[in-house]
Amino acid sequence: MLSNLLEPIKQRPRSELHDRGLQPAALAVVYAAIGLILSSCNNDKVEVYHIPKESVDVSMQSETGSLAPPAATDNPAQWTKPDGWNAQPLSEMRLGSFKVDGTNGSSADISVTAFPGEAGGLSSNLNRWRGQLQLAPLSDEELSSVIQRTEIENVPAYLVDFQTENNNPKPARILGAVFQTADRTWFVKMTGPPDLLESQLQKFLDFVRSFHFSSPAAPNQTAPPGTTKPKSTNDA
Amino acid sequence: MTHEVVRWLKPLTSLKLTIICLACAMVLVFLGTLDQVHIGVYEAENRYFKSLFLFWTLPNTGLRIPWFPGGYVIGTLLLINLIAAHVARFKLSWKKAGILFLHSGLILLLVGQLFADIFIDRESQMRLDQGQTKNYSESLYHDELAIIDTSGNDSDRVISIPDSQLHKGNRIALPTDSLEVLINDFYPNAALINPSQLPAANYPHLQLGPMADAVEMERTYKENERNEPAANVSVIQGGNVIGTWNLAAGFPRPMSFDAAGKACQIVLRPKRFYKPFAIQLLHFRHDRYAGTDIPKNFSSRIRLTDPAKHEDRESLIFMNNPLRYRGYTFFQAGFDNNDTTTVFQVAQNPSWLIPYISCALIVFGMLLQFGMHLVGFVKRRMVT
Repeated sequence: MLSNLLEPIKQRPRSELHDRGLQPAALAVVYAAIGLILSSCNNDKVEVYHIPKESVDVSMQSETGSLAPPAATDNPAQWTKPDGWNAQPLSEMRLGSFKVDGTNGSSADISVTAFPGEAGGLSSNLNRWRGQLQLAPLSDEELSSVIQRTEIENVPAYLVDFQTENNNPKPARILGAVFQTADRTWFVKMTGPPDLLESQLQKFLDFVRSFHFSSPAAPNQTAPPGTTKPKSTNDA
Repeated sequence: MTHEVVRWLKPLTSLKLTIICLACAMVLVFLGTLDQVHIGVYEAENRYFKSLFLFWTLPNTGLRIPWFPGGYVIGTLLLINLIAAHVARFKLSWKKAGILFLHSGLILLLVGQLFADIFIDRESQMRLDQGQTKNYSESLYHDELAIIDTSGNDSDRVISIPDSQLHKGNRIALPTDSLEVLINDFYPNAALINPSQLPAANYPHLQLGPMADAVEMERTYKENERNEPAANVSVIQGGNVIGTWNLAAGFPRPMSFDAAGKACQIVLRPKRFYKPFAIQLLHFRHDRYAGTDIPKNFSSRIRLTDPAKHEDRESLIFMNNPLRYRGYTFFQAGFDNNDTTTVFQVAQNPSWLIPYISCALIVFGMLLQFGMHLVGFVKRRMVT
């Protein structure tokens, strides 16, 4: 059947083809175009472009003015720095970093960090803080009795206050707040001498209450954030 | 000269070639459809249709052996075959005008699709939380290592390295200040875990911070999952290492460093496509039929701002009612976070008219060809 189909072409005299006046230029164009297409299949080049400066939230700006917060472009939280706290350069993990000076040369450090998902769980993180103060870890029940639960803008927040044992030669205290938003866990931690932290307690609480999250509270999430795509309106 | 070219061209005009190409295309579609179950639509498209060949990797080696022509080879051969046949065989006459139109439509369709695939493959997504504003969309499948020079007064300079260049040991020269990027380690897909979850302390991982490590995972091809690479990257200037960082696309946080007095940032993130305008999500609605969970409507009220065109207006995007602006089309595609996040599919296809023109040409050609036959037939019948 195939040979029948091809028969009319086979029978065509060769000279007929010659008389068409074939344009070599046309062919050259076709092959050049194909060559160009195949050679330009490579979309994998380094690109350089300019974008308008992305606005940095005023409340995130440090007093020195030269510190670009690393995640300002995508930071889904804003906060207001209390008076008397000095912004510090941001290190690798810190989204916010402050220092407050006390009398007799003492100072306290305040950090804001965020990690995806549950960041290893609330208990293990709180016990890690306790370890930093040479305190023994607590069970979940014991922890629940020392955690103060609250909500900041419908986001669950857990507040803790840990202090070294009385006989510790280097007394220290940690005021901490943990927020759980939809995609990450936020840690606000103030570390320093107990007396200084006592005088800063209200400012710390004001700072914690000033948090504003653009992503809402965590639903009962099972998968780590970002690894699964959002629901499609076609599947709903 | 002409004689030589025709002899050289003749095998390309063969109808056998047409039949072989069409048969190969059928096999390709069959294989691609079967494999799509395992590797998903996007990967199947790339491997079978947007490729020159299908490859088989020799076990225990990296040797890739081509064993079947891919979509580009078959499509290009069909195109050459069609054009060559026209050049060499068909006469320009009224009798054949219908076929000429029909085939031009076909050629336009093939060429248009090929160009759209290669040059303007720009489908991406824009994910917006309520109140959030963005001037970029992100690729669903690709990532980039971006080095951002933030020292400018009113603009940032972005150098984007595509993920295809991110592999262990690759040294990439950047078109700026004699900077180089060295990829010390690269995981094409990684999971972020707490260090306490590591199977062993010496298990290969990249430490992202005191509380997060990236461990390598199998590449995923599932429709509802995305590969999230992680890398250990060094920035080198004049042979000196400025800094080394562990970066993860699953947790894209820019790391700051100084290069020749310029403040820079480096981040591994989903590939971004910036737009000359911004979109803010004002409100997302997910309406259900009363008393049921059956969706009735998904809609996103957005605010579009484009200072260059003095545009500042609100618009409603809902199913089958996309926003078309400056060559981009924003479709309502998904939602997340208890109906407070919307996801738009962003398509950019300047050649969207080509398939319509092609089909019109094909239909016109068919009508002309069959119409002429019909007229001839009726005339002959009237004579007899």
